Amino acid sequence: MREEHGFGSDMHNNLLYGGRHVCFGALTDGLLRKTAYYGKKLLIFLGSIFLLSIVVFYISRLAPGDPLISYYGERAERMGPEEREWAKDRLGLKDSVSVQYVRWLTNALQGDFGISYKYKTDVMEVIGGRIGNTLLLGGTGFVLIFGLALLLGVLCAWHEGRLADRVICQVGTVTSCIPEFWLSLVLILIFAVNLKWLPSSGAYTAGRAEDPGDRILHLILPMTVVVTGHLWYYAYMIRNRILEELRADYVLLAKAKGMKRRSVMFRHCLRNVLPSYFSIMAISVPHIMGGTYIVETVFSFPGLGTLSYESARYKDYNLLMVLCMLSGAVVILCSLAAQTVNERVDPRMAGAGRTVLR
Amino acid sequence: MITERLIMRMETEQRCGSNAVQKRYGIVEINSMETGAGKQESAERMDHRFEIVGIRLTTQAEPARRRKWYEGRPVFAAVLLSVIICGCLGCDLIMTKDPAFLDLENYNVSPCGEFLFGTDTMGRDIFSMIWYGGRVSLFIGIAATLLSTSAAIVFGAASGCAPDWADGLMMRMTEILLSVPGLLVVILLQAVLGKANVVSISFVIGITGWMGIAKVVRSEVRQIRNSEYVIASRCMGGGFFHILWKHLTPNFISSIMFMAVMNIRSAIVAESTLSFMGIGLPVDEITWGSMLSLSEQALLTNSWWIILIPGLFLIATLVCITSLGNYLRAGVNRGESNF
Repeated sequence: MREEHGFGSDMHNNLLYGGRHVCFGALTDGLLRKTAYYGKKLLIFLGSIFLLSIVVFYISRLAPGDPLISYYGERAERMGPEEREWAKDRLGLKDSVSVQYVRWLTNALQGDFGISYKYKTDVMEVIGGRIGNTLLLGGTGFVLIFGLALLLGVLCAWHEGRLADRVICQVGTVTSCIPEFWLSLVLILIFAVNLKWLPSSGAYTAGRAEDPGDRILHLILPMTVVVTGHLWYYAYMIRNRILEELRADYVLLAKAKGMKRRSVMFRHCLRNVLPSYFSIMAISVPHIMGGTYIVETVFSFPGLGTLSYESARYKDYNLLMVLCMLSGAVVILCSLAAQTVNERVDPRMAGAGRTVLR
Repeated sequence: MITERLIMRMETEQRCGSNAVQKRYGIVEINSMETGAGKQESAERMDHRFEIVGIRLTTQAEPARRRKWYEGRPVFAAVLLSVIICGCLGCDLIMTKDPAFLDLENYNVSPCGEFLFGTDTMGRDIFSMIWYGGRVSLFIGIAATLLSTSAAIVFGAASGCAPDWADGLMMRMTEILLSVPGLLVVILLQAVLGKANVVSISFVIGITGWMGIAKVVRSEVRQIRNSEYVIASRCMGGGFFHILWKHLTPNFISSIMFMAVMNIRSAIVAESTLSFMGIGLPVDEITWGSMLSLSEQALLTNSWWIILIPGLFLIATLVCITSLGNYLRAGVNRGESNF
C-alpha cells in the first residue's frame, strides 16, 4: 500500500512540476522492465527445453533395448546381421548419437518430428489421436481435485478439532497412503470383476466410440483413482494454511468488530490463502499428470501415459522424444506460471526466493 | 466456574534518559470467586496506582485433566509398525513354507488352514511371502531414504555455505529437478541401469528423492552458517564435513526429520509401483510390490487374496509411518485459534 502511495505521489509531483517528459520516460521504463521480465522467462523456458531434449535423446539412445523390434515386430529377431545393418541404416540409427541428434534437431525445428516406429505414421498424428483422452481424464480430474480440496479444507478448518475434522483427517491420511495402482486394482476387482457394473479398461467399448454415455462409464473408475490419489494432499495443505491464518491477530479484530464467522472465513482468511493456492495448482499439474500416467497404464486407457510407457519400453525413439518434450514443456511452463502468479498476486514474493510448497 | 476478570490500568512512571515520562498500561487479571465488595476490596488492597477500567466475565475452563502418557502419541501406529518390522526381521521363525517354492499342485488356492493367506498364481505361499518380501520392501525404503537424506544434507549444506551465485545456481537446479514427476525420472534411470536388483532400485529411488530436503537444509544452514561456533570451528581448522556433522546437522536435524520419515513412505510406494508396472524388481525377487505384479492374472481368476493381502500390509505400514511422521512434525498449529 505504502509503496503504491509513494509511486502515486511521484507521478503527481512529475505532473505538477511539468515533468511530462519524465513521466513518459518512467512509462517506457516500466514497459521495458516488463518485456525484460517476460523475455527472461521465455529464455529460461527455451533453454530448459533444449537441455531436456539433449538429455532425453542421449539417455534413450544409450539405454539398452532394440528399436528394430518396435518397427519390424517379431521379424526383427529372425533378421541376419546384414539385414539388420540395412534396417538400421534405413531408420538412420547407424550414425553416432551426436550426428543423429543434430539431424533430429534440424528436422524438428522445421516441424518434422519423424515417424513412430510402432505405428508407422507421423508422430504428431499418433499423439493427436490420444491427447484428447488424457486431457479429458487429467483436466476433469484436476478441476475435481482442486474444487473438492478447497471444500474439504474449509470444512475441516471450520470444525477444527471437532469430530468431523478428526474423522476427515484420519480417513484422509489413510487414503493418501494407498498407492494409486493398488486402488485401481481393488476398484477393478470390486466394480468390474465382481459386481460387473463398470468396464475395467479402455476409453470406450469397441464400435461405440461416439457414445458419450459409454465414455463416461469408462471414465468413472480411472477418475476416482486420480482424484482420491491426490485429494487429501491438497485438502490438508489448505486446511493447515487456513488454520495458520485463523491464528492471526486480524481474525481476533474481525471477531471483536462483530463479524460473522462465515464472513471472517470467506472474506478474510480464504482470500489470504487463495494466492498460494493458485500457485500450488500450477505446480501440481506435473504431479497430477504423473499420477494420470500410472492410472492410464493400469486401466489400459488409450492416453499419453500408455503411449509413453510403450515408447520408453520398446524404444520408439521419435515418439518418446516428442512425449518427453511435451511433458517437459508443460512442467516448465507450469512452474514458471506459478512463479509469475506468486510475484503478480503477492508482491511480497518478488525476489524473496520463497517457495510455496514446504 | 465463573470468574471475573478485572481489567485494570496500571500507570507506572518510568524515567527515561531525557526525563520524559512514559506511561505503561497493562491488564491485570484476578481469578477470584469473590463478588462485589470482596472484589473492590481486593482491588484496593493493591497499589493505588491501579485503576479499574472495566470488568469482563469469563468462564474458566475446567482444570485440565492430567494427560495420560499415551495421549497425543501414536502408540497404536508404533506398536503395529514394530510388529510388522519384527515379523519381517524374524521371518525365518514365522514362515510356514518356503516363500520361493513353486508348489505346482496348489496354485491359486484361497486362504485355508494350510495356506493361511492362500497361494498365488505361481503356487507360492502368500503368508510366507508377506514376511519375507516385507523385509526387502522395508530395506529398500530405508536404504533409499538414507541415500537421499545424506545426499540432501551434503548438497543443501554445500549450497547454503556457497557464495550467492553458486547458491542461486544450485537452487535453480534443485527446483527444476523438483518439478519433474519423480516416477518418470525413476523409470528413465532404471532403463539406463538395466535389469533391476534391490541395490540398484534403492539407488535410483534415493537419487531422485533428495530435492525437497535439500531446500530445507539449505535455508536452515544459511541461518546458522555465520554463528560464532561455526566460525570458531572453522578458525581452528575444521573441514567442511567436520563442521557439517558436528555443528550444522544437530541444528537442523529436527526440521528435516518429518520429511525423512515421509521419504521412507514414498520410497516404498515407488518400489511397489515400479515392480507392479514390471519395470522394477522381477517376479522372483519377492517384495510387496512384485507380489502385486501378479495381480493381472489374479483379476482374471477373481482371486482377491492375491491383491488384497499384500496391499493391506503395504498400506498398514504406510499409515503407521505417516502417523509417526506427523507426530514428529512439531509445532504445527499448536497455538489457540482466534476463530
